[in-house]
Amino acid sequence: MAEPVARKSEIADGATKRVDVNGQSVLLCNVAGEIFAIEDVCTHDGGPLDEGELMGDRIMCPRHGAFFDVKTGDALTLPAIVPVQTYKVRTADDNIFVEL
Amino acid sequence: MATELKENASPLAAQALVEDYRYGFHDPENYVFKSEKGLTGEIVAKISEMKNEPDWMRAFRLKALELFRAKPMPAWADTAALSEIDLSNIHYFVKSTEKTEQSWDDVPDDIKRTFDRLGIPEAERKFLSGVSAQYESEVVYHSVIEELEKDGVIFCDMDTALREHPDIVRKYMATVIPPGDNKFAALNSAVWSGGSFVYVPPGIEVKMPLQAYFRINTENMGQFERTLIIADKGSKVHYIEGCTAPQFSTSSLHSAVVELIAMEGARIRYTTIQNWYRNIFNLVTKRAVAYKNATVEWVDGNIGSRLTMKYPAIYLMGEGARGEILSAAFAGQGQHQDAGAKVIHAAPNTTSVVTNKSVSAHGGKTTYRGLVEIHDGAIGAKTRVKCDALIMDDQSSSDTKPTMKIHEQQSTVEHEASVSKIGEEQLFYAMSRGLSEADATALIVNGFFDFFVKELPMEYAVELNRLIKLEMEGAVG
Repeated sequence: MAEPVARKSEIADGATKRVDVNGQSVLLCNVAGEIFAIEDVCTHDGGPLDEGELMGDRIMCPRHGAFFDVKTGDALTLPAIVPVQTYKVRTADDNIFVEL
Repeated sequence: MATELKENASPLAAQALVEDYRYGFHDPENYVFKSEKGLTGEIVAKISEMKNEPDWMRAFRLKALELFRAKPMPAWADTAALSEIDLSNIHYFVKSTEKTEQSWDDVPDDIKRTFDRLGIPEAERKFLSGVSAQYESEVVYHSVIEELEKDGVIFCDMDTALREHPDIVRKYMATVIPPGDNKFAALNSAVWSGGSFVYVPPGIEVKMPLQAYFRINTENMGQFERTLIIADKGSKVHYIEGCTAPQFSTSSLHSAVVELIAMEGARIRYTTIQNWYRNIFNLVTKRAVAYKNATVEWVDGNIGSRLTMKYPAIYLMGEGARGEILSAAFAGQGQHQDAGAKVIHAAPNTTSVVTNKSVSAHGGKTTYRGLVEIHDGAIGAKTRVKCDALIMDDQSSSDTKPTMKIHEQQSTVEHEASVSKIGEEQLFYAMSRGLSEADATALIVNGFFDFFVKELPMEYAVELNRLIKLEMEGAVG
């Protein structure tokens, strides 16, 4: 039985939370009440995305401003080219589960 | 660009040389609107309101202002020169006239005289498909030949594009250079005004160049044009821009953002000749994306300014895409040309050539700062980088800072760099054939820049050779 990685009530609508899942940094994003999970790495420079701003379903890298779609992982603007890894999310009651 | 004299030169001669910057004149200020100095959310909102922009653009600007404030000045750059910029002492928006004119006769007389002196109408008559002239923050004159409009080519200023083609602008603007890319891209995104918008439909070839001319007239002014060029599948376009500013005792800021998008099989050539007076800070972000079998060429000449920071970039995103960056820079006394090129190979069989030549004289400094990146999977990518620096005297200097990130083994990377001093033997030989020392020096420097000059339209080539000669006259005596 997998352990929950976070509680949904901890992440407000439009907010993000970085969690560690089996040694992997994962960023949980609350888009209008639905939780999405991406790898916490900007594919442009390899730095974390967790201090980036979530705007709707897009997250902006805090260093060079690249946007990623947190639902699909797509790189929406340069300087990022490569999509960011996405993960399956399951919620049960207040618990969030992530499949790596 | 004023040339410099040796320390023992006479004041009269120095004055004569300062006057060599023939674009140094300025007109009396006569404006419809000039923002207060400094940058606030109110000023950004006011710019948006005056332009009757949609809400999303206003929000885009205000978010960019936040990013601009949050981002530090680049620590890797010439921080001493950057610290001279007083961002609170700049007028961020100056509106010189109420509307953009289609007929040269209707442009206000004072502005018309300026562009007449700069030779714009003459250039247009001779060889251009269309021309756009930006004075301060907005475009004051614009024309495009009818044939192009019939073909569906759009060439207008960015403000007009936002009004008349909002969907295309919204779809593509800031996808190549997002506001958070760097501090000055954020600044431009917050206060952008003017610049060119070009859309070329599939399969259309624009045979003669489109031209834009940018002129700053107000002291302590910032010019923040924003240019977006989209060449649809299989189309071709050549765009040329020229920039000048008057001589003032305090500095002005030019911080443009230029985004190019070359769709499959398209070709864009973007030629820039910047000849700023030597107290202009020229901090520009230029980036292009080239899809399958597309070609993008940056031809970039930098003369003048206090500090130029400009690294035209090409992202080769589709198989067979090709990029070429040719740049030339001249740094005189008190100037730093920090220029370079970036090429990112993100697809197989992409090719690129970067050629950079710089000359430093009278204590000037040039820096080549470049990046070549080859992504994993870009099999068969080929790149060749060549940078040559010529140093004219012991007070001048040059740095080369190339970065290569190669993640694909099956690729070819060549890098070649040279730094040389002007040779006494070369000078002696040329002088023994009857040339003066000034002419001999100019001949050698012109030869050094020849690869670049031959890529320019005739009018620009002649002008650049003349400017280089003027620059070099101060080097000897």
